[in-house]
Amino acid sequence: MENTTLAHHLLLAGLLFVIGLTGVLVRRNLLVIYMCLELMLTAATLALVAFSRFNQTMDGAVFVFFIITVAAAEVAVGLALIVALFRQQKTVQSNELNTLCD
Amino acid sequence: MDPIQSLHWILFLPLVSATCIALFLRRHGSIAAWLSTATAFSIAGLALNLLLTTDGKIGWHHDLAKLGEISLGFGYLLDANARLMLFVVTFVAAWIHLFSIGYMQEDEARGRFFGGLSIFMFSILGIVLADNLLMTFIFWELVGFSSYMLIAHYFDKDFAAAASKKAFITNRVGDLGFILGIAFCLHHYGTLNFEALASVSTFQGVPIIVGLLLMCGFLGKSAQFPLHVWLTDAMAGPTPVSALIHAATMVAAGVYFMARVSFLLAPEVLQWMAVSGAGMAALAGLCALAQTDIKKSLAYSTLAHLGIMGCALGLGHPELAVLHMAMHAFFKATLFLGAGSVIHGCHHEQDMLKMGGLLKKMPITAATFIAATLSNCAVPFFAGWYSKDAIIEAAWHQHHYAIFTFLALAALATCIYSGRMLRLVFLGQPQSKNAEQAHESPWTMTTPIIILGLGYSIAAGFAADAIIPASSRQVIEKPLQEMAFHLSAPSTWVGIFALTFGLLGSLKFYAIFPGRDSLQVFSPQTYKLLEYRYFDHAYGWYINHIQRRLAEFIAFLDLLVINGLAVRWIAGGFTAAVGQLTSRTFHRGQTRGYALWITLGSLLIIWFLLAR
Repeated sequence: MENTTLAHHLLLAGLLFVIGLTGVLVRRNLLVIYMCLELMLTAATLALVAFSRFNQTMDGAVFVFFIITVAAAEVAVGLALIVALFRQQKTVQSNELNTLCD
Repeated sequence: MDPIQSLHWILFLPLVSATCIALFLRRHGSIAAWLSTATAFSIAGLALNLLLTTDGKIGWHHDLAKLGEISLGFGYLLDANARLMLFVVTFVAAWIHLFSIGYMQEDEARGRFFGGLSIFMFSILGIVLADNLLMTFIFWELVGFSSYMLIAHYFDKDFAAAASKKAFITNRVGDLGFILGIAFCLHHYGTLNFEALASVSTFQGVPIIVGLLLMCGFLGKSAQFPLHVWLTDAMAGPTPVSALIHAATMVAAGVYFMARVSFLLAPEVLQWMAVSGAGMAALAGLCALAQTDIKKSLAYSTLAHLGIMGCALGLGHPELAVLHMAMHAFFKATLFLGAGSVIHGCHHEQDMLKMGGLLKKMPITAATFIAATLSNCAVPFFAGWYSKDAIIEAAWHQHHYAIFTFLALAALATCIYSGRMLRLVFLGQPQSKNAEQAHESPWTMTTPIIILGLGYSIAAGFAADAIIPASSRQVIEKPLQEMAFHLSAPSTWVGIFALTFGLLGSLKFYAIFPGRDSLQVFSPQTYKLLEYRYFDHAYGWYINHIQRRLAEFIAFLDLLVINGLAVRWIAGGFTAAVGQLTSRTFHRGQTRGYALWITLGSLLIIWFLLAR
C-alpha cells in the first residue's frame, strides 16, 4: 500500500470506465446498461478522489459526496423510467425499443 | 434632492406610470387617466423645482458599454436650451394630460391612451436630457413608436390606421439618414458625446455629409420638406395627441436636436434648411386656407411654423429657433386644445363650415382660442411676436431677401387663415344642428386652455420674467434684447401689413358667404390648387411605378438565384445526397449504435485536443 501512486489509481479508474463503456456498448438489457453507466460514473468519481488525495486538497473529496447524493436521486428516476417503459412496451431489450425509427 | 437624482425621477416616473398602466390598468380607464395625469404634474413640479433651484450646466454620464476606444453611454446634459425645452415639455404636457381626462371621458380605450401618453413623456424627456447621439437616437425611435401608437388610437378606422403607418414609415426614411449620420460621427470623430463632439469638431472641421445625414432625422421628425407629408394625416389621432405630440413637443424635438448639434452643420446644410424652411412655411400657410377640417388647418399652420423654425436654424440662430419652438408650443397647444374643446362641444363635428357662432356658446374656449390666434399671428406683445418677428428680422439683416419674402408671405398667410378660422368657427350664425346645440366643456378641459392660452400665449413673451424660470430664460433673453422694439424695422412693417390686411381682411372676406368657403366660391381653381396634395401623389407615383418595379425585380432575383439555384438546387441536392448516405449508416434505431457513435465522436475530440 505504501508505494501506490496517482497513476495506479487513475489506471484503476480508467479500467472501470472502459468496463462500463464496453457494457453499455455490447449489452442489450436496459437494466444492465444502466448498471454499466453507473460504473462509468463511479470510475470518474474514483479519479476525482484520487486527484484530491494526491493533491492534498479536500475539494474533490467533498465534491464526491455531492456526486453520490445526486447519483442516488438520479438512479431512482432512471429505474422508475425503466419500470414505466417496461409497463408500456413489455420489454427492456434495447434492440426492440426502436419505435421512433420505423 | 440633488439635481441628478431629480433628473432620474423626471425621466423614469413616466416609464413607471406607463408600465403600471400596461400591466394592471388596461381595463381601468379612469384610474389610468388619473395616474398618468398625476405623474405628468409631479414631473412638471420636479422640473420646475429643479429649474428654479439650479443654475448653469448640469451633466451626468454613465457608461453602459465600452467597445475599444468608444464608450456607449447613458447621461444627461442640461444646458440653457435643454432647460427651456424641459420646462415647455413638462409644463404643456401636464395641462394636456388634464385636458385629456375630460376629452377622453367616453372613450373605451382610455387605459391604452394614457399609457401611450406616459410612454411618450418618457421618450421625449429622454431626447431633452440625452447627452449623446446614441441615447438621443434610442429615445427618438421611442418617440416615433409612441406617436404611431397614439395616432392609431382609433385603429378600427381605416384612415387612422393608414395615417399611423404613413407617419411611422415617413419617419423611418429620415431616421435611416440619422443613424448613418451617427455612424459617420463615430467613424470620423470617435465619440458620440455632444460636448466632446463640440470641442473636437471645432478643430477638426465639419464635413458636409455629417450635417446632411443628421438633418435627415430632423426632416422626418419635424416634418420638414420633403418629408412633411405625414403631419397633416397624423391629425387622425385624438385631439390632445395632436396638441401634445404633433404640435407642441415631438415635432419641435427635431428643432431642439438640430439646435443641440448646430456645431455639426456645415454652411451648405444651413443654407438648404433656411431656404426649404421658408419655402415650406409660405406654402403650408397658404394650404391651410383650403382645409375645412379645423384640425387639418391647424396642422398646416404647425407645418408653417416648423418651417419658420427650420429657417431660423438655417439662418444660424438656433437660439431663436428654440425660442420660437417654446412660444409655438404654448399657443399651438392652446389652439389644438381649443379646437378639441370645440369638437367636443359640437358633438365631434370637425368641419369648420358647419360651425359658427360659438363665441356666445363657448365663451371660455373662444376667449382662449382668440388669444392664442393673436399670438399665432404675431400681434405685438403676444408670445408669437417676439420670436417670429425676430426670425423675419434676422433674415432681413443677413440680406437673404428671398427668404425674407417667403417668411413675409408666411406671416401674411398665417394672418389670413387665422382670421378665416375665427370667422368660420366663432363668429356669424351656427351652420348646423351640432353647432346650435354646442355647450361649454367641463372644467378639466377649460382649466388647461385658460392657463396655457391666457397665461402663456399672451404673457410668455411679454412677462417672460415672471413666468419662465430664470434658469431656462438664458435662451430667450438674447433675442428679446435684440428685438427691443424696432418700430422702423422691416419685420414690423410686414407684421402690420399682414395683420391689417390679412387678419381683418379675412374676417370680412369669409363673412360674405355664410356656410361656404368664400375663396372656393370666388376662385375654385385657386382653392383646388391649394387643396391638391402634390407630394402625396408624387410619392404615390414613385412608389407604385419605380420602387415597386425595383422591388419586383429583386423579388424575381431572389426567387431565381437564392431560392432556386442556391437553396433548391445546391443546398437541397447536397442534403438529399448526404441524407441518403447517412440514414443507412447512422439512423438505425439501435441504442447501441448511437452509443457507439457517441463514443467514437468523443474519442475523436479527445484525440484532436491532445494531439495539438
